[in-house]
Amino acid sequence: MNLKRYLSSVLTLTEFELRKLRHDSSQIWLRSVQPALWLIVFGEVFSKIRAIPTGGVSYLQFMTPGVLAQSVMFVAIFYGITVVWERDLGLLNKLLSTPAPRSTIVLGKALSAGVRGIFQAIAVLILALIIRVNMSLTPLSVLGVFVIIILLGMSFSSLSMALAPVFRTRERMMGIGQAITMPLFFASNAIYPVSLMPDWLKTIAIMNPLSYAVDAMRGLLITGDLSALPIDILAITIATTVLVVLASLSFRKIIS
Amino acid sequence: MTDRAVVVEGLTKIYPRVKAVDEVSFTVDEGEIFGLLGPNGAGKTTTVRMLLTLIKPTSGRMSVFGIDGLTHPEKVRQMAGYVPQDVSVDGELTGYENILMYSKLYGVPGKERGRRIKDVLGYLDLQDRADDMVSTYSGGMMRRLEIAQTLVNRPRILFLDEPSIGLDPAAQRAIWELVNRLRDEFGATIFLTTHDMNEADTLCDRIGIMDKGRLVIIGQPSQLKATVGGDVLTINSKTPDCVNKLKELGYSIVSESLGGQFDLLVSNGEALIPHLLESLKAVGVEVEAVSLKKPTLGDVFLKYTGARMEGGETWIEARRARRTFRRLTG
Repeated sequence: MNLKRYLSSVLTLTEFELRKLRHDSSQIWLRSVQPALWLIVFGEVFSKIRAIPTGGVSYLQFMTPGVLAQSVMFVAIFYGITVVWERDLGLLNKLLSTPAPRSTIVLGKALSAGVRGIFQAIAVLILALIIRVNMSLTPLSVLGVFVIIILLGMSFSSLSMALAPVFRTRERMMGIGQAITMPLFFASNAIYPVSLMPDWLKTIAIMNPLSYAVDAMRGLLITGDLSALPIDILAITIATTVLVVLASLSFRKIIS
Repeated sequence: MTDRAVVVEGLTKIYPRVKAVDEVSFTVDEGEIFGLLGPNGAGKTTTVRMLLTLIKPTSGRMSVFGIDGLTHPEKVRQMAGYVPQDVSVDGELTGYENILMYSKLYGVPGKERGRRIKDVLGYLDLQDRADDMVSTYSGGMMRRLEIAQTLVNRPRILFLDEPSIGLDPAAQRAIWELVNRLRDEFGATIFLTTHDMNEADTLCDRIGIMDKGRLVIIGQPSQLKATVGGDVLTINSKTPDCVNKLKELGYSIVSESLGGQFDLLVSNGEALIPHLLESLKAVGVEVEAVSLKKPTLGDVFLKYTGARMEGGETWIEARRARRTFRRLTG
């Protein structure tokens, strides 16, 4: 299996995941309902009470990158359910009977979660513009945000796919998805700064890849402070790599 | 050594609570239609999945066209096509996209792709619906599309797991014809599993009967049926002396009932009937009715496993059994 064939397998899997999205794009809008509630209801109210120190920007500005990251994470974290579903249907058996290596299946699906995340993010960005959140949308900042989103989508979809062969049923995976998304969201800097947290929560937030993605996007879109960007990108890249490898290893057990 | 399509030696798969496949050995020749026949849970699907390198055997060896599946799984997968029992086409894509995806995964060169996809769509009579979403297809069309996905790679061997399960009789017959054409026109070796004795009998050159993980017997359907004993010829006659007349003529009577019904064990029953009637008439026996029962693979199964193989299972029952099995082993 040479490199060209390997990459072609990965891109093929990504391509057809995205073709499904093209056939039915309504899910992007359905999945925008929750971010909309966070921005319009939660964001507006907390802007009024000014309870959270946001460092010179409005609370809506502060939380927009957080909601962006959350919407991408929610898309990605349920990829494990899709994998279990495809196994139950028989789709996965057939996919695994092709010469495509297991890791290309994981990588292809992870990459598609990242690209899907971009479409989701565009929906949230449009929403933020409608409610007049002041953001710096330059070609470079948008490009940077898209890179972060691809890595974020890849890492959380890989986490989910790594868990799928362990928990094995759709019902359990649904439970796992719900059990980890909210804690990951709250134990991050998405809707309040880490400095407000008790020490034990700070430790979790610092280990949470979501925090780095939010920090990077906040720098790019809102504050313009890019001093932490290299560390943020490094942290997300490491998390993505580790989780993709874990998912590829775990994936061998999916059907046996 | 002739070119064997499949060689399996002592293949075994043990799950924590189940011995799914137990020391199975057999060979399949190139160009053959070979079938594994047995009830649900016999280990047929597990055997196929091991051959396709989807799961690792606990012990034993296997090769496909001389390539060892344990050391070169990707080479085996490149040569083989697999149509699983469950629906394996993606309903969220069009028929064309389903085939395109597999042509890419099998590494069909870009230049050839368009032509090959067009060929298989035509061959399987799907060209008119190629751009429709697969979720709108009928069961028979989905099965044909699944076969099309593998044909685009021109496999040397095709593994069909319960190819006609859940299909209506007309679609079932169409699949049987297709399987024969695939062998005759593409020269593909066909390896299928089935619990349908009729399917095994009409479609397969050779069959192996599996029960509880073991391969109990292997051979041509006609050979296997011959081992059960001959045909049973039943005649009804009210002529009082019939029993003795039959015995005088040298027939062995396996059973007789009060109403004047006699079961005779014979060989080549169809050819014997006119002869028998003539000779009975000559000795003054009047026959009211004759019927012939040929041995079936069900009789073969009964003989070698000591159990009756229940027929007429539905796809839903098979899936339920499979899910239970997964829960046990998972």
